Amino acid sequence: MKHLSEEDLILIYYNEPGPSAEMRTHASECAECRDAADLLAYTLGLCDEWTVPEPDTAFERRLWAGLAPAIAAQSVRRMTPSRWFAPRYWIAVGAVVLLMAGAFVLGRVSGDRNTPNASGPMLAGLSNQARQRILDISLADHLDRAGRLLTEISNTDAPGMAVERGRAQDLVEEGRLMRQMLKLRGATSTLAFLDEVERVLLEVANTPDTVSETEMKAVRERIGSSSLLFKVRVIEANLRTQGQRL
Amino acid sequence: MDYLETAEGEEIAIDRARRGDHEAFRALVDRHARAVFRLAFRMTGSEVDGEDVAQETFLKAWKQIQRFDGRATFGTWLHRICANCALDHIRARKRKQDVQFDSAVQMAEDAPSPERMAQSSQVSAILGSALDELTDMERSAFVLRHYEGLGIKEISAALGVQQGAAKHTVFRAVQKLRRALLPVAAAHRK
Repeated sequence: MKHLSEEDLILIYYNEPGPSAEMRTHASECAECRDAADLLAYTLGLCDEWTVPEPDTAFERRLWAGLAPAIAAQSVRRMTPSRWFAPRYWIAVGAVVLLMAGAFVLGRVSGDRNTPNASGPMLAGLSNQARQRILDISLADHLDRAGRLLTEISNTDAPGMAVERGRAQDLVEEGRLMRQMLKLRGATSTLAFLDEVERVLLEVANTPDTVSETEMKAVRERIGSSSLLFKVRVIEANLRTQGQRL
Repeated sequence: MDYLETAEGEEIAIDRARRGDHEAFRALVDRHARAVFRLAFRMTGSEVDGEDVAQETFLKAWKQIQRFDGRATFGTWLHRICANCALDHIRARKRKQDVQFDSAVQMAEDAPSPERMAQSSQVSAILGSALDELTDMERSAFVLRHYEGLGIKEISAALGVQQGAAKHTVFRAVQKLRRALLPVAAAHRK
C-alpha cells in the first residue's frame, strides 16, 4: 500500500470520514506515515496553545444590555406584518369583506345605491362610495402583503419555506374573499389580475418542506417572468390613490 | 428555573422566543453567549471585535428565529450565523498588519519552565502571524474545525459552501499553518 497523503493524515487526525480502515491501520503501522502523522499531530497540538480570554462575569449582562433595545425595536417592526398574518386578523378582515359583500348585494337588489340605509344595520350610514373606498384600501393592503411575500421569496436563499408557505396560504384565502367582492362589483380586469397572483401564491403554498435549489429557482422565475411584482406595486398604488379620492 | 438544562427545555425557549418572548430569548443568549464569543474571537482575533460580532450574531438570530427549523441544533445554527457575521466583520474592517492576537497561554499548575514559556511565546507569535496569512475562509474553516470541533458537513453549512470546498479549505489552512509552525515543531520534538 502506498503512503498516505497529507490530506489523508489530516482527515485521520480529525477523525473525518474518508480514509478506509486499511488506510488508518497503515497510518499506525508504517514507520514513515506514523512519523508524518505524529509530526502533524504535534504541530496541530501547538495550535491549542492559543486560548481564548475568558470574558468577565458581566459579559452576558453587557451583551443583553446592547441587544435589548435593538430587539425591542425589531419586535415593534415585526408586530405590524405578523399582526396582519395572525389568523384572528385575517378572519376579521374576511368578516368585514363578507359584510361588505352583503352590503353590496343588498344595495344592488334594492336598486338604491345611494341610499345609505340600504346596506343593512351593520353598515348603516355608509354610502356606496365609502364602501367602495374600504374595498379599494382592503385590496391594496392585500396586494401589499402579497408583494412583500413574493419579494422575500425572490431575494432569499434560505432553504425550507415553511413560514412562507403558511403566509401564502393565508393570502390565497384572503384573496378569494377579495375576488368574491370584485365579482359583485363586476371588476373583471382586477379579477383577472388577482387570478394571476393567486396562481403564484398557490405554487408557493404547495411547495414541499424541503425545496431544492432548482425548485426555488423555478418559483423565483415564475415571480419574475410576468413582471408580477411590478404589476402588484402599480395596482396597489392605483387602488390607494382611488381610495383616497372617493 | 433553568429549563435550558434539558434539550426539551431549549426547545421550549426557542418556541417561546419565536412567539416574541424576550426573556426566553435572553435565556438562550445567556446559554450560548460564551461559545459564540469564543468563535467570534478566534475568527476576528480581537476581544472587542469578538464582542461586537457576538452581539450582531444574536441580533440576527432574533430577526431570523422564524427560520430556525430544528434540523440542526440551535448552537450549530448560531455558529453559522456567527461565522457569517465574523466574515462580514473581517471584510469590512480595514486589514491591519499589527493585529494583536491575545495569546493567553494555558499555564500548567506548576510554574512553567523558561523553555516552555519561551516556546509558548514563540508559538503564539508565529501562530498569530500564520493565521493572519490565511484567507478569511481558510481561517474560518480552520477555527470551526480545530477549535469548535465541527465536522466538514457542519462547516460547509456554516460557511455556505459545498462539502468538498469546505474540506479543501480546511486542508489548505492546515497545510499553511503546518508549514509556518514546522520550525518550532521540528526544534522541540528533538
